[in-house]
Formats: sequence, C-alpha cells, structure tokens
Amino acid sequence: MGVEAAMAGKAANAPTTYSPSPSQKPARPIFEDVDWVRADGRNFHECRPAFMKTGAANAASGSAYAEFGNTKVIVSVFGPRESKKAMLYSDIGRLNCNVSFTTFAAPTRGQGSDNKDFSSMLHKALEGAIILESFPKTTVDVFALVLESGGSDLPVVVSCASLALADAGIMMYDLVAAVSVSCIRKSLIIDPSSDEESYQDGSLMITCMPSRNEVTQLTLTGEWSTPKIHEAMELCLDACSKLGKLLRTCLRDAASV
Amino acid sequence: METSLAQGELVGEMEMDAYRRLFPLRFYERYLLESLRPDTRPLIQCRDTSVALGPVASADGSALAKIGCTTMLAGIKLEVMTPVAESPDDGCIAIEFHMPPICSAIVRPGRPAEVAPVISKQLTDAILSSGMINLKELSLIHGKAAWMAYLDVYCLDSDGSLFDAALLAAVAAFSHLQIPLVSLNDEGRVVTVSAELGEGKSSKEVVNKEKRKLKLTNIPFSLSFVLHKKYILVDPNAEEESIMDSLVTVVLDLSGRLVSLYKPGGQVLAYTSTLKDCVALARNRGKELKKILDDALLDMEEDSS
Amino acid sequence: MKRFQDLNSNIITIMDMERVDGRSPHQLRPLSCSCNLLHRAHGSARWSQGDTTVLAAVYGPKAGTRKNENPEKASIEVIWKPKTGQIGKLEKEYGMILKRTLQSICLLTIHPNTTTSIIVQVISDDGSLLPCAINAACAALVDAGLPLRHLAVGICCGLTESGFVILDPTKLEEQKLQAFASLVFPNSPISVFSKGPLLVEGEPIEHGLVASVTHGAMPVEDYLNCLERGRLATDKISEILRRMQQRFLDDGRTTEISSTQ
Repeated sequence: MGVEAAMAGKAANAPTTYSPSPSQKPARPIFEDVDWVRADGRNFHECRPAFMKTGAANAASGSAYAEFGNTKVIVSVFGPRESKKAMLYSDIGRLNCNVSFTTFAAPTRGQGSDNKDFSSMLHKALEGAIILESFPKTTVDVFALVLESGGSDLPVVVSCASLALADAGIMMYDLVAAVSVSCIRKSLIIDPSSDEESYQDGSLMITCMPSRNEVTQLTLTGEWSTPKIHEAMELCLDACSKLGKLLRTCLRDAASV
Repeated sequence: METSLAQGELVGEMEMDAYRRLFPLRFYERYLLESLRPDTRPLIQCRDTSVALGPVASADGSALAKIGCTTMLAGIKLEVMTPVAESPDDGCIAIEFHMPPICSAIVRPGRPAEVAPVISKQLTDAILSSGMINLKELSLIHGKAAWMAYLDVYCLDSDGSLFDAALLAAVAAFSHLQIPLVSLNDEGRVVTVSAELGEGKSSKEVVNKEKRKLKLTNIPFSLSFVLHKKYILVDPNAEEESIMDSLVTVVLDLSGRLVSLYKPGGQVLAYTSTLKDCVALARNRGKELKKILDDALLDMEEDSS
Repeated sequence: MKRFQDLNSNIITIMDMERVDGRSPHQLRPLSCSCNLLHRAHGSARWSQGDTTVLAAVYGPKAGTRKNENPEKASIEVIWKPKTGQIGKLEKEYGMILKRTLQSICLLTIHPNTTTSIIVQVISDDGSLLPCAINAACAALVDAGLPLRHLAVGICCGLTESGFVILDPTKLEEQKLQAFASLVFPNSPISVFSKGPLLVEGEPIEHGLVASVTHGAMPVEDYLNCLERGRLATDKISEILRRMQQRFLDDGRTTEISSTQ
C-alpha cells in the first residue's frame, strides 16, 4: 500500500537532502562609508517596528507574543509550581528557563532542538529582576519558542519573557527591557536584523530594568574600542528606557480591556 | 445592599467552582442533561475556527490554525533530494508534530509529550493515504532531483482536539506553499533563482517554471468527538477530554471517503448508529473547514494583488 | 484485479478471494494461546495467529502511580518491545492504543494508587500485529487474575481493491490491500444473573466498538461492512479465550489451546 511504502522508504533510508542556495550570492553591502543605508531603510539608531501582546497561550499561567520586524517569539510562564522531586529545600524560589527554535525559524532548516546558550542567558537576564523570595520552595518555568528568527532574537525573547512574567503575576522589581547593538566597521547600528548580524564585527547586548536604571546583564562579543563601547551602551540604555515604556503600555492596555 | 448581593454571588460562584473541581463528571452531567456544555456550546457545536496563511516568512509555506484556544503553527521547508530508484519521479513528504513546553503545563523540556509521536503518525497517515498531494508534482529532474517537503507542526496552545487543529494547519500550509524557482548549476546542484533573473537572462534554464503551486485533491478534514453515555460531544476541549475518556476522531476527504476512523479505547463503546452520526457530523464540518480555508486563500490573494 | 471488473461479479469474487495460503476470505489463521509461561511475572500469555506471535507479561499491581496519573485509580503502563530495533512512532502509537484499550476493560477503581505494567514482546510479525497484541495482553491479564469488566477481542479486517473484506490478513496481504482496519470488540459476557444477552441501550454489548485504527482511505459503507464482518469473527476468538480461562481454572498449570479450523 502507498502509505506503508512511503513510510518504510522514509524510515529505511532517509535520503540526504540539502537546501538549495541562491544561484548568486548577494553582493556584500558597502560599510566603508559612514552613511551607507540599511537594507530595510532604517536609520542607524532606529529600532524595528514592534508589536507585543500578552495572553498568547491560555494553557500557561502567563504568556506573551512579541514581533520585532521579522523576529517572532512566544513565551509562556508556568508556576510557581512544585519543584522537581530531586531538588533540595530552598528558602527562595527557583527560575527555570528554556529557549528553543522552530525547525523553520531560520533560512536553512534547523533541528529545532533547545538552545542551551540562550536558555542560560535568559535565566541570567531575568534572575535579578524577579523577587524569588515571594515563592519559596517552588519553581517558575519560563519557556520561549522562536517562531521566526529575524535577528536580535535574544533581546526580543528577554523583553517578551518579562511581559509574560508580569502577565503570570510573578513579583518583579521591574520589567526587563533588552536591546542589542551591532558594530560594523565605524558604524553602530541598533536592533540588527539577521543579515546585519552576519556582517557584524562586534555585538553588545544590555538587559536592564529601566525604571530602576539597573543593568541585569551585559554581554559584549567581538572587536571593540573603549569609546565605542561607551557610545554603544548609551545607545542601548536609551533604547531600553523607551522599550520599557512600550512594555508598560502593552500591560496597561491588556489590563484596561 | 449592592455589596451584600455581590458577595452572595461570589459565594455562589466559588461553590460552583469547587463542585466543578471535586466532582467534574457530575458537574458535566448536570450540563449534559440540558444539552449544553459549561462553555455555553450546544453538544454538536464546534469552537470558533480560523486560519491565517503565511505567518512565518522564513518557511516556504506556513499557516496558523486556531480552534477555540488550541493553536497550531505549521511550516514547510523544501529541500532537494535524490529520488529513490524505484520511483524516480516522486518527491517525498516528512511530517513531524511537536509539542514544545510552551503549549501545556504537562510538557517539560527534555521530556516530550506522550501523544506527540502518535499525532505525528496520525498526520502522516491522513495526509498520505488521502492522496491529497501527488508526489509526482514534487519532482524536479527525472531520477536526479526532487523536493523533500519537511512539514513541522507546532502546538502553541493546547486545549483539546489537537489532531483536528494540526491537520487543518498542515493542509493550510500545503495550500500556501510557494515552490521557489530553481535551476541546475554547473556542479549539478539545484540552486534557487530570483523571479526577475529567471525571466530576464536565460543563461540558466529554470527547471520548474510551471510547478510553483501544489494541486491539492481530496483534502482531508477531521473532527473529534468525546462519547459519554449516550451523548456525543463535538470538538472537545482539554477539560472534556480529560474527564470523559472515550475519544473518536473521524477523518473524511472532500470526496466523502473515510481516511481514518480512530478510537483508541475508552470506556464507552461505539455502536454503529453512533459511528454513523459521527461520520455525518464530520462531513458537515469538512464543508465548514473547506470554506474557512478558501476564505483564507481568497484573503491572501486579495492582499497580494 | 481491476481488469476483471467488467466481467461477471461472481468471477471477480472468486478471483479476488483467492488468498496465498488458501484460506477463504473470512477464515482466520490457526490460533493458539498458552498461558502462565513466565514464572516471575504475575501473569503471562503467548498468542499466535498464523506466523504472528506476541508474548505478553503482566507485573502488578505495584504500589504507587507515576506523576501526572490519577492516584484515585489504578494506572496501567504498557511497554512495547519490537522484535528488533528501536521504538518508532508506529510502536508508540500501538503502545498508546493498547494502554487505552486495557484501561477501558480493567476495573480501575478496585486497586487505586497502583501501577500495573504490561510488557508486550513481539516475537514475529506477519500481519494483524495490533489485534494479536491486544489478544495476548488480554489473556495475560486473565492469567494474572486482574478484575476485568469484560474481555477485549482484536481482529484485523482488510479491504481489497475491489471492495471485498478479508479477515486476519498476513503482512503480504496488508501491503496489497486498499485499506485495513484493526478493530477491538468486547466479548459477550456470560452472566449467572441475567438471562439472554446483555443489552446496552438496546444493543447487545458485543456490538460496541472499543477501539478502531484504520490505514488507507475507503468508502464509509466499506468500513461499516468491515465492522459487521469483524464482529462475527470475534466470537471464535472469544471462545478460545474463554476455554483457556476454563482450562486454567481446572488444572492451574501451563495450558495451551489452539484452534485449527
């Protein structure tokens, strides 16, 4: 029978497949000038249009969906709930984070497995903002799924996760807003897309609590000069405070409906 | 006066909530006697259903299907493979159903849900045995290259009738699928060609100019039921599925053939008359879903033109 | 077979019904069942239909239930062991159907907060595997002495290209069929209290369907036809199960029963 044959064929000798690459590599954009134009027409210091909404998944205690340009993520928060049996007694609550990607998130098909790096980075970014003393002995789970990866994935996940935590009613010192900046030659560009990230010389991400003016995480990779770092940090912090306002508006809108 | 009334209502509500938690079956039976369900639906009414095409730009075809709160995201990625010798003109379809931890409180990372592989298998069976897709349409070059369509369905929110929503999303993703223009490069590998380039220069021959969309025939649509005593509840939510354990899923294609009748056990026995009722309900639901899908396709065409 | 369609329908019947092993369309392969083979298990049974053989063992009820299971009821755990290789989607599907089917025939409220494990080892697979495994598991539960509501009897019905029903197809036949359905029915209980057949909503209990899994597309009428045929054939299998039970009660030792029709 057709089905059985197709099934057997697939199981027995899973054919090796490849993703067809474009016939011509797009020419590398020119970054030498100071005033090159970004592919989507944005200014260097302009973020992508953002859309955020809480209450995306009803099965969770709290959830949020965020869309920054082509980057689309959904975060669900479960708990506070019973910690794993193997865990020892703890006076303060535990935070458990997990980030995964869909297989079709990137231009070439992925495996859809967990992203360990992002999971631990998300954990570190949120840990400082949550009042863990408010749920002793229990665990709060923060699970994120990147539906489409369009660049600056981690910052979007972090901002979205803080919205989901607020939606779940988890006590926090403040919302966490996250923004990243890429350094390409002489230019600093904010909220880079995947293409821009692939050409970057260095990257800086700040996750912070805007109303308290406290940074929960700062990561710096690649080649940087000290004045550039200062400039990038200023840029990020400024964007974070604006994003923080946006997150607050989103929560206020959800509450007023 | 007003406050005391409000308090009285609150007490009443709390008692009902406690009753619902403590005696879920008796709570449901009280409703069933009135031919109603706690979410105000009559027994044979489905929840609001919607389909959105193309939510994910990085996939070759994608769709989001919602039945009530149950949300499914399906995405298709096309890759190139060498067809097997026995069927040199056939492409292939690989289907996987995922339940990431975001969708439900019972799924934890590293511990996949028990039902996920079972639904994967059901989806594969339904799509392949309905003959919805002619695998020949996925052919590129006889014996040399054909498309391998990887369909991945993600459950974003799980609230019962998972298979119905997953199949709807899968079918919608296939109807949204845009096959990229490709040609053969000098090394014999298949490469994509941008549309303008394909039209303008004819230095490289485009292999699949006419095969940009799949023609779907005999599209399968599914409807799930929960049986309890003599009642048939259509399109159950997660609570109903957990309280009443006799689930039946009927898959029919548009020509009226039975693609699958799935009943994995359960205390309530299904008699022929019940099964006939289920098939009739599934047939009507198929027409409804077809209309929802057609409307979504029409909306997309209007948007693009 | 298609080319015969223009001819007299009788000829089609004869041509179509010819089976490789010379059986008539509604004839089952020789059945055999032996119980109490494993000494460590609380109950065990080997069930064969032709060259398809499944060994089932029951351990339990053991104290405690797994997480996410309802502790107010007994929990059933099915471990499916394929003949060779790893557990794939097909095995997981079969395992889940077997689990849900056994849950529906066991009286779960008698042993709350316990777990009963049923281990199903496929010894050889020559078609009709799922029904065979259900029959084996059922016999093993009887052997273990677990309280059951009724027995479950599995049967595989195949539909040929020209729309005829054949029973208990072999693996080779399954591949050639347009579609096939694995069906599970309850057997008719013989009660000392009630006279005549037990009725549920005006229909005898053995007419109810416990489980159904289909492969391949078919017209609805043909499926109903399969149901009818399958139902008739389960009597024979029920009889074997019942005789086995009887023989076991009589001498309490390893018993083997077979039928070669």
